[in-house]
Amino acid sequence: MSAGCSLLWTGAEEDDRVFDLHDWEGAEPRWCPGCGDLSVLTAMQRLAVAEQFVPETTVFVSGIGCSSRFPHYMKAYGFHGIHGRALPVATGVKLSRPELTVFVAMGDGDCTSIGAAHWLHMIRYNIDVTALLMDNNIYGLTKKQSSPTTPQGFASNTAPRGSWLPALDPIQATLGVTNASFVAQTAEWVPAHLYATLRAAYHHKGFSFVRILQRCPQYTDSIYKEAVRKPSIVELLVHENGLTVPELDRLYTNQRRHDPRDLDEARRLAEASDVIRLGIFFQDESRPRYDLIRALPQRTVEEKIRLMNEELDRYAV
Amino acid sequence: MRKVIVGNHAVSWGVKLARAEVIAAYPITPQTQIVEELSEMCASGELKARFIKVESEHSAMAACVGASATGARAFTASSSQGLALMHEMLHWAGSGRLPIVMADVNRALGPGWNIWTDQTDSLAQRDTGWIQLYCETNQEVLDTTIMAFRLAEQVDLPVMVVLDAFFLSHTAEPVDIPDQELVDRFLPPRRARYKLDVDDPHSYGALVRPDDYMEMRWHLQDAMHDAVARFDGVETEWATLVGRSYGAVESYRTEDADIALVTSGTITSTARHVIDQHRENGEKIGLVKIKMFRPFPTDALRLALAGIDRVAVLDRNFSPGQGGIFAAELRSALYDLPAEDRPAIYGYVLGLGGRDVTPAVIDGIIDHVRMPGIPARADLWVGVKA
Ligand SMILES: Cc1ncc(C[n+]2csc(CCOP(=O)(O)OP(=O)(O)O)c2C)c(N)n1
Ligand code: SF4
Ligand SMILES: [Mg+2]
Repeated sequence: MSAGCSLLWTGAEEDDRVFDLHDWEGAEPRWCPGCGDLSVLTAMQRLAVAEQFVPETTVFVSGIGCSSRFPHYMKAYGFHGIHGRALPVATGVKLSRPELTVFVAMGDGDCTSIGAAHWLHMIRYNIDVTALLMDNNIYGLTKKQSSPTTPQGFASNTAPRGSWLPALDPIQATLGVTNASFVAQTAEWVPAHLYATLRAAYHHKGFSFVRILQRCPQYTDSIYKEAVRKPSIVELLVHENGLTVPELDRLYTNQRRHDPRDLDEARRLAEASDVIRLGIFFQDESRPRYDLIRALPQRTVEEKIRLMNEELDRYAV
Repeated sequence: MRKVIVGNHAVSWGVKLARAEVIAAYPITPQTQIVEELSEMCASGELKARFIKVESEHSAMAACVGASATGARAFTASSSQGLALMHEMLHWAGSGRLPIVMADVNRALGPGWNIWTDQTDSLAQRDTGWIQLYCETNQEVLDTTIMAFRLAEQVDLPVMVVLDAFFLSHTAEPVDIPDQELVDRFLPPRRARYKLDVDDPHSYGALVRPDDYMEMRWHLQDAMHDAVARFDGVETEWATLVGRSYGAVESYRTEDADIALVTSGTITSTARHVIDQHRENGEKIGLVKIKMFRPFPTDALRLALAGIDRVAVLDRNFSPGQGGIFAAELRSALYDLPAEDRPAIYGYVLGLGGRDVTPAVIDGIIDHVRMPGIPARADLWVGVKA
């Protein structure tokens, strides 16, 4: 779309097109068999159909890593960027084209290591972008080096005798940043929960941060093995102000009512415990948004007509 | 001891034998094996260094800067995007006069994501105050890594050891690994001239006003100048111990030659083979390999190219809007010669992003450069698809 068109964008267009799953399939995924990123892609394509995203107004921005191949596999606009810099790129996209729906796909290295500074600031800016942290607890693409989220003691090629420090917890960290507005955790091996979480994140107005626990059968197979087999070590955070996923009630009986408006309780729940908590930890749509505060004033009808005439004049013979 | 090892491990061995004390790094293809091997050596206790697993390359170089400022022998390695991210700290190391050694495995820069070899990443760091040494074989990689520490600590400048992605980094060759005792004789523990020391307090990084800044830069230039001669001395010493040396510039079969190829890195090995064949046919053609890019070995190159009519520079790198970087540097190094002693310089840009440079490609360049009356040009792109 040319810059000229963007000036004339009216937002709501008459559109009778219907997009099905097929319309969202981009390139053939090149992830390993059993890679959790595949489930995330499937959930996202389902969401795109359910919400009838429009391909030309949907953008996926990523960094570098296995997970950052995501934009290639979603048939929408994609920006496969620079390791660690997905969030500032997405900021640029969203601020200059606020009408676009912007998703960000990052790995744990991308988000919590090399790009950590941007993560912190993006939470505070609270720009209306949905970020997916596909956390396999390792640098996957470069073949098994410890990341900040690698569990203590887990051996890798850069920590052959095991990671020295306790893992950084992205949920704790995000909840600690001023102006956080949507903080959720889900697991790609619980597709119903993953889908419901992505959906809630998409609908949230402001910066939505979703940490997706992701299996990497290649390098960190052991980490989530038990959690996959034993739903009892997973605790679902449920609430009518947050998420309920009734179809999981029979399998995931370990549930806790948590009102996501309660930040103190969210922080308490994010502290390390022997269960893995999935759900919306915190949500508050009233928090200030940089994209709104800094938005250019709406164009008046006269301005729009003038711009349209200018645009048409360019084609005059 | 002789071992068959990949170029990345030749770096690791060099660093281990040099008894580096602090290693800070972030992984990136194709450098990763260097630091993985070093982290293993540290974990097993073979190498008594502190291995710092940092969160980015910018932090890796920052950690090396901090460590080096305390007097420690510091090392890191990177490639491409990682090296680019270090850029700000590279200046710090250079102008801070910190003798850090790093390995750069040449890899093309994105976008146009590409993991294969291309020298533009290291050459783009030309003006950061680092000595740069390019390597042709895994043996040269190991020897250069050890010599780099010696040179760095003599002139208080950081040194970048540069090797080609995959052609060296991931290719196994037999490498002679010198004994530790011998390396210890060559490279004693670092004795920093300036360091952060509670008994002798100094601080780094103060504001320098216009009336002193230029002098700081002059000292840097002076140290670079000094490094040219010092490198010869370091090589001579190393050669007396192990019998190997490379030269800042090496001439190969240039006696009586009319035409010379100028190369760096692994293209040199292919070019040697091509030169041998042309020599067998009685053609007067030779090769000059540039190992040292910073400081630029102007005098050695003038000598090596004396009497040559035409020079074909093979650049696996390029500066957009100009052309091959070695060619441009060489042209300016020779420009001050009297016109009759100045060869015509033909700059060929080739092999970018790891595109293969085969003997046939080099034959094509030779055919081109000796065409009668062909004007010298800086921007001859080889094999670009229409
Ligand atoms: C500046 C820079 N440094 C290093 C790299 C090499 N690199 C590419 S992806 C990656 C880490 C990937 O880990 P993560 O972000 O967790 O993604 P995953 O592959 O696990 O999905 C690294 C270190 C790079 N591309 N750029
Ligand atoms: S290495 Fe791990 S994260 Fe990467 S594609 Fe394979 S399974 Fe997925
Ligand atoms: Mg990862």
